[in-house]
Amino acid sequence: MSFEEFQNRARRFVVGALDPDEMAEFESARGEFGEKAEAFIAECYSLSEAFALSLKPAKASDQIKARLMEMVKNRQAH
Amino acid sequence: MRLSHSIRNADQEINNIESEREGRLRIRRPLLKKEGGAEALDQSPPTALKPGAPSDFELMAGIQREDSQALSQLYDRYNGILKALVLRVIHNEAEADDLLQEIFMEIWNQAKNFSAQRGKPLGWMVTLARRRAIDGLRKKQAYARAEERLQHETEQQPDAWVHNSTEEEILDGDRRILIRRVIGMLPPAQQQAIELAFFRGMSQREIAAKTNTPLGTVKTRLELGLKKIYDGLKELRDEL
Repeated sequence: MSFEEFQNRARRFVVGALDPDEMAEFESARGEFGEKAEAFIAECYSLSEAFALSLKPAKASDQIKARLMEMVKNRQAH
Repeated sequence: MRLSHSIRNADQEINNIESEREGRLRIRRPLLKKEGGAEALDQSPPTALKPGAPSDFELMAGIQREDSQALSQLYDRYNGILKALVLRVIHNEAEADDLLQEIFMEIWNQAKNFSAQRGKPLGWMVTLARRRAIDGLRKKQAYARAEERLQHETEQQPDAWVHNSTEEEILDGDRRILIRRVIGMLPPAQQQAIELAFFRGMSQREIAAKTNTPLGTVKTRLELGLKKIYDGLKELRDEL
């Protein structure tokens, strides 16, 4: 697989769109390209960030944070 | 309403043709306030950080040390974005709240697996949140109900991503408008393929079946669309 093809697949990988057969080839190429591949994949996550940031933020219920922090406190106590 | 939508689509089509000729998307950058504009796009947080506020990386490091205050701050910074993402997937307010709590608990539990070398904290959190939301959607077998709601919303608002910015919004120049502009410049078929893959967790085969499109075409639409968005975001960062 060329690096250009790898880049195309990497972009589809971060949005969860690769088919299982493509995934196996992608992982193999990822190993071959090594650090260069990991650096490109890290950059590709800007895509998923962008999709999330394209949405208007939604307000969570006020109770959610209180419940979360209580769960964390309990977890730390045990 | 329909007419203005058609005009918008026609404008967009012309834009796309011109862009295709140039081989890339041309982004007309809205006016930005100098203070905070570049920072707002380049930094992970949705809004400019107060002086002295910890970065996302510092907060993640804090969570890795089991500092609950770091989680509290990360929650305050990103709960709105992650809730919006979950809501977009499952279309149910109460379930979105429950999932949001589970997601932040998972962030707490899985923080040790986060590596700064592999990307920014927000990308990691979005990936985690999206996966949980799609799992939740399937587990609760709410897919059919969400489908109905989405169908209804699509009829009400044909292109959820196509954003007709007002002058005031452009002058505000926040990051959301810039990103939506980049996404909005894609042809509708590419936007739809990305929407179905990212927000609904559909495989390429499922997208092909749903849209009655050959699988190869779906892959091409995803590849072209994602590359244009990737390049568009990079261009914006470079310009700013």
